[in-house]
Amino acid sequence: MSTRTEAKPRVEPSARPRAVGRRGSLTHPARTGLLLVTPAVLFVAVFVLVPLGFALVISLTNWPLIGTVEFSGVKNYTAIVSDAAFAKSVLYTLLYTVIVTGPILVLGYALAVLVRRKRRGATLLRTMFFLPFVVGLSTLSFVTVLEAQPDSGAINIVLRSLGITDGTTAWLVDGPLATGLICVLVIWGVSGLTMMLLMAGMQAIPREFYESSELDGAGWWRQEWEITIPVLRPTIAMSVIISVVGSLLAFTQFYILTRGGPGTDTTTVVQYIYNRAFVQLQLGAATALSIVLVVVVGLVTAAQFWLLREKD
Amino acid sequence: MLTRRKFLGLTAAASAAAAVPGCSSVLPEPDVQAAGFGQDATGTVQVWCRAATQTGLTDLVKKFNASQDRLTVELTPVLDAQYVTKLATAIRGRSVPDLVDIDDINSMLFIYRDAFTDLTEPLQSLDFRDKLSPGHLRLATKDDRAFGVPYLADNSMFWFNTELCDRAEVDPDEAIKSFDNLIDAARKLRKLGDDIYAWSFPANSPGALGFVVQPMIWAADTDLIKGPVGAQSGDIVGNDVVQQMLELHRQLWVDGLVPRANFSDDASRWGSDFRAGKIGIFPSNYAVVVSSSDEAFQKKVAPKLLSGPNGGAAFFDGGDNMCIPRGAQNASGAWEFVRFALDLPQQIDLPAGGYTPVRSDAATPEFAKKFPLATLPLERISEGYAPTTLSYNLLYNQPDGPWLQMFRRAVFDGELEAAMTEAQSNFDRILAQGQA
Repeated sequence: MSTRTEAKPRVEPSARPRAVGRRGSLTHPARTGLLLVTPAVLFVAVFVLVPLGFALVISLTNWPLIGTVEFSGVKNYTAIVSDAAFAKSVLYTLLYTVIVTGPILVLGYALAVLVRRKRRGATLLRTMFFLPFVVGLSTLSFVTVLEAQPDSGAINIVLRSLGITDGTTAWLVDGPLATGLICVLVIWGVSGLTMMLLMAGMQAIPREFYESSELDGAGWWRQEWEITIPVLRPTIAMSVIISVVGSLLAFTQFYILTRGGPGTDTTTVVQYIYNRAFVQLQLGAATALSIVLVVVVGLVTAAQFWLLREKD
Repeated sequence: MLTRRKFLGLTAAASAAAAVPGCSSVLPEPDVQAAGFGQDATGTVQVWCRAATQTGLTDLVKKFNASQDRLTVELTPVLDAQYVTKLATAIRGRSVPDLVDIDDINSMLFIYRDAFTDLTEPLQSLDFRDKLSPGHLRLATKDDRAFGVPYLADNSMFWFNTELCDRAEVDPDEAIKSFDNLIDAARKLRKLGDDIYAWSFPANSPGALGFVVQPMIWAADTDLIKGPVGAQSGDIVGNDVVQQMLELHRQLWVDGLVPRANFSDDASRWGSDFRAGKIGIFPSNYAVVVSSSDEAFQKKVAPKLLSGPNGGAAFFDGGDNMCIPRGAQNASGAWEFVRFALDLPQQIDLPAGGYTPVRSDAATPEFAKKFPLATLPLERISEGYAPTTLSYNLLYNQPDGPWLQMFRRAVFDGELEAAMTEAQSNFDRILAQGQA
């Protein structure tokens, strides 16, 4: 039996019946589409492309907040290469990103495993784990400023009562200690979001997958490794990307807790850019740094998409 | 048809169009030499002040508004940490107040970029012009033209607890003659008891630390910065005075002459240890020592000017300057308010709010009787100094600034030479960026 069907005559674009959409008709597919996307295009143009274009213009000038603007070409960009303080802030930000990304994912995954099934207390646990993210890093950081004080802060009081320290540790005036404290704070504060994303992904995995594997004798670990993680790959990728981008752009917690100090021990890239813009009032230089940061974050994100892409 | 090329072209054009109006932020300068300037003005005067000086300014404004009915002053307090940015943004937006009461250390940042009005002539017309704080005026002067007027002073000095000094047989006048004498005095004071310390400094507050420690360098006629604004660089490596200042504080720390809490002291409870009678020598200001203490304690303290390695004298000439931004709508009214603020009755009242006058002729016998601990900086007003630079905040007031970094590394880690080398490089970098 032949399955061959008779080929339809090819319609050349030029031969497309124009009558389908009269001039200005909303039923014309192309015009309707254009009309529908226009608000989004306008939104992106006004709030993304124009500011980005404006930022590019600013980055090619000295653009002080006060004083006369002068065109400076690529001077702001070439200066970045020899800016040792900026390089140090980049390295510190990368270190911070490396430290927090893994634990946020692992803790978020573990919490998601704990609360993914509908069982007694699961809702309460979800709320508890997600609450720090809802409270926000700003509030958590302000509370931490108080609780990290030598002698009077809760952290020191607890450590002293456990006999670990004498309670006089000045957490925020020591680079490594402050970094450690901020990392713990961020892992605690942000892993709730990862938990929610992964939990939603886990709940969408058909139950039959697990039932079949159980019949085949797969244990819990095998099921996680062979079913959950592969199926969750896109969700995990998204969680990691959100976490990495958030870490590369970290500012709030550092600004509140250490302001980049002591010295420049905890100065992140964004803190450095903030100082150039709003302490030195040099928007031109700061904008050039921001554009470099945008490009770097874009490249890192693209690399992650590529590395974590779904493989056939 | 809107092609991608056209769209991008339009975007670039829109960006450039948006950029054009912001390119020039030099606003028109009010005519301060016009007939009747600063007299019989009418309308409203918009004044910005720092949150730190809000209380005093509020009283001053009330008094001024009650003194006449032609002119109304409206006061807007701005958080100290946001003051420079907000004012700069207002200037960029071409919507400025008529008068700003600004931290004098930040004056030059705006003057250097033509944001304030030249007040040289109105200032010359004041009959007490020569009595005004030269330190404040220096911070508001560019090319021999004055762009601001001192309003109030906030000075740093040594405060000695005379009761402890008597017990330890320490003579404050002898102690300030050299760093060696200060260390000897400190050791004697520390021997008074386990809970009595010789000295106290807020080692985790860059601003307060700069306020009380830098004058010990200036007293030897040197500074951490050298050169005129526009061509400044650090003066740290090879500066013996800076090294001696760091060694002094290192010694105080190593010998346990200061409380351990100084390590993390961010000045949020600055002076509580001194006011509790536990500290012998305390570099600080009038507000911290006097305004927050009772009369009995005030009788036990004696102020001395800060001194250098071999004596000398200096104090931080902090406080506020009043400046009229270019583009001010009611500059005449603003100047009338400035003259009122500088009148002796208002100046003599300043110590009640924790500040000192900027007119040396305010130190009358009546004033000395009312505020005996506020007269020293007025009697020696010419010793007041503060560095004129465009990068003060980034160098000295930021926790990630090189000043605090150098101090802590040298004093607590003992890496004095490395700290100075690192600071030299960071001072040079920040000054170069600020002057670019």
